[in-house]
Amino acid sequence: MTTAVLPAGAATAPRSAPLGRLLGAELTWVLRRPRTLVMLGVLALIPVVIAIGVTVVGGDVPGPRGGPGLIGAIAGNGLVLPVASITLALALLLPMAVTTAAADAIAGEAASGTLRGLLLAPVGRLRLVVMKAFGVLVVATLAVLVIAVAGLLAALVVVGSADGQLVTLSGTTIGLGEALGRVLIMVVWTVGQLAAVGAVALALSSLTEHPMVVLASVLGGLIVFGVLSAIPALDWLQPYLLTSGWTAGADVLRDPMVWDGLVESSLRALCYTAVGGGLATYRMLRRDA
Amino acid sequence: MTAQDKTSGQGTTGRRVAAGVAVAGAVGLGLLALPGGAGAAPELPPVSAEELVSSVLTADIGAFDGTVELDNALGLPALPGMPQAADGDSTARVWSDGEGRGRVQLPTDSGERTLVSDGETFWAWNSEDQTVHTAPADGGPAERESAVADPTAAATEALDALRTSSDVRVDGTAEVAGRAAYELVLTPAASERTLLREVRLAVDAEHRVPLRLTVLANGSTEPALQLGFTELRFGPQDASLFTFTPPPGATVEPAPAHAGPMAGKPERLPDGVEPTVVGDGWDTVVVASGGDLAGALDDPSREGRGEGRPNIDLSALGTPVSGPWGSGTLISTAVASAIITDDGRVAAGAVPEQVLTEALGQ
Repeated sequence: MTTAVLPAGAATAPRSAPLGRLLGAELTWVLRRPRTLVMLGVLALIPVVIAIGVTVVGGDVPGPRGGPGLIGAIAGNGLVLPVASITLALALLLPMAVTTAAADAIAGEAASGTLRGLLLAPVGRLRLVVMKAFGVLVVATLAVLVIAVAGLLAALVVVGSADGQLVTLSGTTIGLGEALGRVLIMVVWTVGQLAAVGAVALALSSLTEHPMVVLASVLGGLIVFGVLSAIPALDWLQPYLLTSGWTAGADVLRDPMVWDGLVESSLRALCYTAVGGGLATYRMLRRDA
Repeated sequence: MTAQDKTSGQGTTGRRVAAGVAVAGAVGLGLLALPGGAGAAPELPPVSAEELVSSVLTADIGAFDGTVELDNALGLPALPGMPQAADGDSTARVWSDGEGRGRVQLPTDSGERTLVSDGETFWAWNSEDQTVHTAPADGGPAERESAVADPTAAATEALDALRTSSDVRVDGTAEVAGRAAYELVLTPAASERTLLREVRLAVDAEHRVPLRLTVLANGSTEPALQLGFTELRFGPQDASLFTFTPPPGATVEPAPAHAGPMAGKPERLPDGVEPTVVGDGWDTVVVASGGDLAGALDDPSREGRGEGRPNIDLSALGTPVSGPWGSGTLISTAVASAIITDDGRVAAGAVPEQVLTEALGQ
């Protein structure tokens, strides 16, 4: 019995490609897609458009500066721009970018018939999920970084900053180095939130062969979350909703910094990531080729 | 055992792990949603109510920093420039050096108000219009506003005003902001005509300072108002917290004479109004005349910029009433009532309508 198993196992056991090569292949595949590049370009335009809007329009209006929201805090205080742009994009554009990538990753391949090849290839199913998740995470990170960098550049070139400092929402000023650190915290936190969106999208992506279904479900779900959190009678739902922690991004602009909201929303995102990632893996492990 | 079985066996294990991760995530989400705190009531040596009250009134809190949460169910409408007045939760971060200098930060979703008293000047920053209002720190109305966010001061004041007309008792212990505390309960004496059922104070067992003030109204088990620390640390504070330098680009202007940054509650009356107090204890009624309530309800920051005052339609806030004292508008909330008469007088208190009309008739 044992002797019979060993040769059979040796013959059929897939020779796994190294993980590094798989991830590299996925990276090239994701980054070569025109839609990814176009999307990154559009995201880079957000801070530029805001900067021009605030400077050109806001500069001519007499009277006190500012206004409600983070946008109002940008005038003459450019270092707010990256944070404000990311906050704005996190509402819908960034989740859309990540969901598109996740929808393409599995459902898109199933729709075009290439998933069959991947499932039959000598790549473990778990590795396949890791590879696809990595691709989605790269898109999320790039998307946030593009906004942050474009925001910083637009801040320096178009808006200008208050003597090279950042005026916090609390009315204090912090230096350039610390301000860049705050932007970095914002980037890391946002990537964490997008990882949660991406994991859920990946789970849906593994359940269907239609990428549009994934996109519609995730974006529809985000809108439903927004509606639910606006209903006072459903207050008790708030701690379960991913989106309810998304106002915490503005906390990086407070001084002294408040960590509670950022940590809590990150933990919530981690839970969503576990649920989404677990379901995606569960589904892919039993999926027929 | 064939190779087929082996692969499917590995797949089953993998699926179990994957399902386990998903379930763990869902459970974690549930755990995160659980309300924190609410531990078992701590064991503390018994203390008499008189002893507790006198130690609270003489306690010196010293330097501290903390986070205060206001849970408001008063039923007031949202007032312009003061989202804290409307129902809901709001938080404030508080710092004090124990010697009269302090800092309060009131965050909103995308802005913040910072109130700093550095001993000589009171600064009020509003991120929405990037304006700093200044006022001399002489304990004037502007500075008193910042005490609104301080449960210690608010609770001590309430205790001092109410203890003579109340039945005071110690009702067990509680844990507030991770600290052991006695629950001091003030119940109005039978002769008091008030809308309030009781006022509860959680008093820190070690420092004897109020940590939480809870106001309960008649006919409701939920607190109408709860103001308390969610985090509190005693100890010396960074001196730079008690200074304020207006940031570059900010507009600095003296605060308008009659309105501080937190003005907006109806009971905060504009200067130039002479309030008279009718009654004492729980059924105290404050009657003011000569001022216009619109000033008190107004958005001070907008007014400070010299723009027109928004006209608040009083009939939208209350119901018309009339009697031998005249006619006016009655505004009722869970814990207080106010009548604004058509001739400009205001009577307010934590009392039913009848007590207000009696006070107006005097």
